[in-house]
Amino acid sequence: MAEQKKVRFVIERQDGPDSAPYTQEFDVDYRPGLNVVAALMEIQKNPVTVDGKKVAPVVWECNCLEKVCGACMMVINGKARQACCSLIDNLEQPIRLQPARTFPVIRDLLIDRSVMFESLKRIQGWVEVDGSWDVKDAPIQNPYTAETAYEISHCMTCGCCMEACPNVGPQSDFIGPSPTVQAYLFNLHPLGKFDAPKRLNALMEKGGITSCGNSQNCVQACPKNIKLTTYLAQLNRDVNKQALKNIFNH
Amino acid sequence: MANKPEKKIIVVGGGLSGLMATLKICEDGGKVDLFSYCPVKRSHSLCAQGGMNACMDTKGEHDSIYEHFDDTVYGGDFLADQLAVKGMVEAAPKLVHMFDRMGVPFTRTPEGVLDLRNFGGQKNKRTVFAGSTTGQQLLYALDEQVRRWEVKGGVKKYEFWEFIKIIKNKDGVCRGIVAQNMNSNEIQAFPADVVILATGGPGQVYGRCTASTICNGSAVSAVYQQGAEIGNPEFLQIHPTAIPGSDKNRLMSEACRGEGGRVWVYRKNPQTGEKERWYFLEDMYPAYGNLVPRDVASRAIYKVVVHMGLGMTNPNRVYLDLSHIPADYLEHKLGGILEMYDDFVGQDPRKVPMEIFPSIHYSMGGIWVDREHHTNIPGLMASGECDYQYHGANRLGANSLLSATYSGTISGPEALRLARSGKLGDALTSEELEAARKECVEEFDKIRNMNGAENAHQMHHELGDIMYKYVSIERDNNGLKQCMKELHALLKRWDNIGVTDHGNWANQEAMFVRQLRNMIIYAMAITKSALQRDESRGAHAKIVLKSDYDSWDAAKQKAFDEKNGKYHFDAETGRAMTDDGNDDLLFFGRDDEKFMRTTVVSFDAANNEPEVTYREFEHSLIKPRLRNYAVAKKE
Amino acid sequence: MFHTTFYVRRLHSLVGLLALGMVLFEHIFTNSMALGGAPALNGALAMMELIPKPIFLGLEIGAIAAPLLFHAIYGIYICLQAKNNPGRYGYVRNWQFALQRWTAWFLVVFLVWHIFYLRIFTKGIAGTPISYELLQSYFVANPVYALLYILGMFAAIFHFCNGITTFCMTWGIAKGPRIQNVISLMSMGLCAVLCLVTLAFMGSYFVM
Repeated sequence: MAEQKKVRFVIERQDGPDSAPYTQEFDVDYRPGLNVVAALMEIQKNPVTVDGKKVAPVVWECNCLEKVCGACMMVINGKARQACCSLIDNLEQPIRLQPARTFPVIRDLLIDRSVMFESLKRIQGWVEVDGSWDVKDAPIQNPYTAETAYEISHCMTCGCCMEACPNVGPQSDFIGPSPTVQAYLFNLHPLGKFDAPKRLNALMEKGGITSCGNSQNCVQACPKNIKLTTYLAQLNRDVNKQALKNIFNH
Repeated sequence: MANKPEKKIIVVGGGLSGLMATLKICEDGGKVDLFSYCPVKRSHSLCAQGGMNACMDTKGEHDSIYEHFDDTVYGGDFLADQLAVKGMVEAAPKLVHMFDRMGVPFTRTPEGVLDLRNFGGQKNKRTVFAGSTTGQQLLYALDEQVRRWEVKGGVKKYEFWEFIKIIKNKDGVCRGIVAQNMNSNEIQAFPADVVILATGGPGQVYGRCTASTICNGSAVSAVYQQGAEIGNPEFLQIHPTAIPGSDKNRLMSEACRGEGGRVWVYRKNPQTGEKERWYFLEDMYPAYGNLVPRDVASRAIYKVVVHMGLGMTNPNRVYLDLSHIPADYLEHKLGGILEMYDDFVGQDPRKVPMEIFPSIHYSMGGIWVDREHHTNIPGLMASGECDYQYHGANRLGANSLLSATYSGTISGPEALRLARSGKLGDALTSEELEAARKECVEEFDKIRNMNGAENAHQMHHELGDIMYKYVSIERDNNGLKQCMKELHALLKRWDNIGVTDHGNWANQEAMFVRQLRNMIIYAMAITKSALQRDESRGAHAKIVLKSDYDSWDAAKQKAFDEKNGKYHFDAETGRAMTDDGNDDLLFFGRDDEKFMRTTVVSFDAANNEPEVTYREFEHSLIKPRLRNYAVAKKE
Repeated sequence: MFHTTFYVRRLHSLVGLLALGMVLFEHIFTNSMALGGAPALNGALAMMELIPKPIFLGLEIGAIAAPLLFHAIYGIYICLQAKNNPGRYGYVRNWQFALQRWTAWFLVVFLVWHIFYLRIFTKGIAGTPISYELLQSYFVANPVYALLYILGMFAAIFHFCNGITTFCMTWGIAKGPRIQNVISLMSMGLCAVLCLVTLAFMGSYFVM
């Protein structure tokens, strides 16, 4: 039998938030269709480095393995991606895994993305329904608008756009492409649009949409192919109109 | 509201059910501590694809709530509590309106109303959907609403906290939980008035399944070991169409077939001998065709591949074909999952048939609850997939999003009512809280320092292999007995696990070791219940063995002989098989007299053994009748 | 509810495109007169001298110095918010994003030198009027300075032209990817033309 083909992983590890990063290398048996999460799972079963040292298994976050939960975002060969759908066959080897350092690192590849969820509070990312009880029918919606909403509503808060965006990070207060564009989602809804001025005003605050520098990395990095830059431009338009209203209506 | 004392409910689990319960409690003026393994927005509910059933009747088919009710009960092979199901199907259209108002981007007709699609086991279009990511969209809507309540101060989220166990007061009432922060590994005890578990299914017991890595049933198993009863755990849904993978089997929605997808294999035409595509589901079940319920479809695929040797073998696959449907229609209705197939398999399902095989998908069983979602432990409630309610022996596709949401609308308000009833006895004292916490800390420290030879992840893999081998599509009593033995052996080996990570910071390995033990114990509950249930019903199909036949009385043997004509017992396996040359397996029939009862399992801690009993349930509304999808339902 | 950040940022964008854009065009236009030799450039410079002194000074302060200072200082703040990463994400727009910031840094240094030496020291303190002859002798004697001036112009032109593209995005004028691309291509075309003009008039000092 031919010798088992191996895949080399170079993983940037870090024991805690304040520890210094270091790298370790692992070999994983190749098989067709292998992805990065599956490879990390293999390392869990036998956490031994290429030097034969038995180490603690690599820590990372994953849930669904179907590219819908957004948990397993990491930097793979320099780019932010979902690890579950990163097939080994499509990656240059050795494969370098790093945590997305735009966010605070907890351990190894595990990062703290709570800032994204906090930003969703800031932009009022919800429809102000009276309650979960029944109140007649819901309004009819333009199916084309609904389709745009559906596209934006695919955003899984994975943070790829945040990691790719040069204006997001510890050096900046920008809330990032994803939470910003979510504001547009709720402004599209027939009930959500009642609060559109609130959301637009929130985007005008420090760290809001004005911090976008138009590098347009977000739209390239988005694993869900959301047309982020288009909606950012639309929001810019809406925000400008809102600014005029703020000036002339009061 | 100011004069009502604010009661605190702990909700464990942030999927659809947990979030719905949370929302209801907040709206009624209660406070919630919401615990979750992960940010609630990443809960497993988002993996649901096809849609949510509700009788909207907007397609001119004269659909009715009764029809939905009957389809669900019939699909569940008459093992579901009918009053509970009735409540659920009646609420369904209202819940859809609620989601619509909350901003779920449902797919719409050209005139802007909600579109409906076909789904398995139902003749009418009854499934509202948001492309092929309905669960994601519904979960996000509730996540948003709960975030709104978080801002208002009704909810405090504990994300990345793992539930370890409940704490009972001296009267045996559940009044708190112990949980662990998964990053800092800090263990804390939290008091509450009532605890709702909404922790989802136990898919990970089978290793490779359509469930997320977080769906390990560990919390359910933990309360089971503390005295909660499990209902119907032997009924595990095997989804017919999943993309098999070594890390997980990825779901390929039933919506594919709802939108016209066909399942086929190559065969030699029996008459002409020419190679042809055999659309076997359409052949075997002319009335429902590709849209038979999941248990039926899975068994058919299994039979065609494993027993008839058709389709692809090694690995086993059949084709699920969408390539005859116009690409833009597919994009509109199924976009998300087609992209997924492309991502993970590297082929375009708009052009070539997909290769799929059945996989463990959903647990109809779970913690036993009454219709108000109380468990047998006072003060502990369960809701969502982790309870056993609504689906009986088999769940219809697109009923899970409904049951998850609906159960939350019941358990939430009921929890608050119970909290305000004053019947819960004393709150936990700080000594009781500290004692419970300390116990868990000691247990965790012990696990962290385990130094044996076994690797927990390797053992988890073996657990999955064992369960797939013995307790999946076709079961037999010999296999189930063997399975119990192997599970006991596995549990013993658990003591000999060694961890390489002895630290106390984000130690995922040690937490997994704790979960693994719970999984093995839950697996035993599944297996033992399957062993005891000597019938076939819904997802539980049991092959008749020589030893079974020999144990029957003469009357039963005679009935079996008459029903099955000429058959023999296989010399090697002892399985009953037909003599017609096909060697078709013979299964136990449905035994309403003995087994139209809920399986109730409680834990015998002394022997680590499940104890199985049976309990009556409400089935007075629709009389049981034979379930046969080859013919239309009411013929 | 007065969103200072928002208005300052938008003002930064407006000032960059309109006020500083005017200044840049005026410089290119006037300097391109060098192509016509000494009489043409000196004539153009003399035209400006026709503007009454107080008004000219007012314009210099109000329409050039103030906008420039504001754009530069706030621009530095904006630059500090970025972690340029075209090495990892080598898309065209990301390179342009990074170049916008790198040219900004270069321009800050260049403009300080340029303004202090020519406007404040030579014209202001020494009282030497700017003329074709002065510039020619200066550049020919110091080819390195000439090169720095060419680079300074290139930086300013790129910064301005790329600014047109981002302006169209920031103000929501160009929304979709196609129109954004068209505008980007047109601005880069303008950038190339202006750079060529710069090369031509700077070269003319050495040829003539």
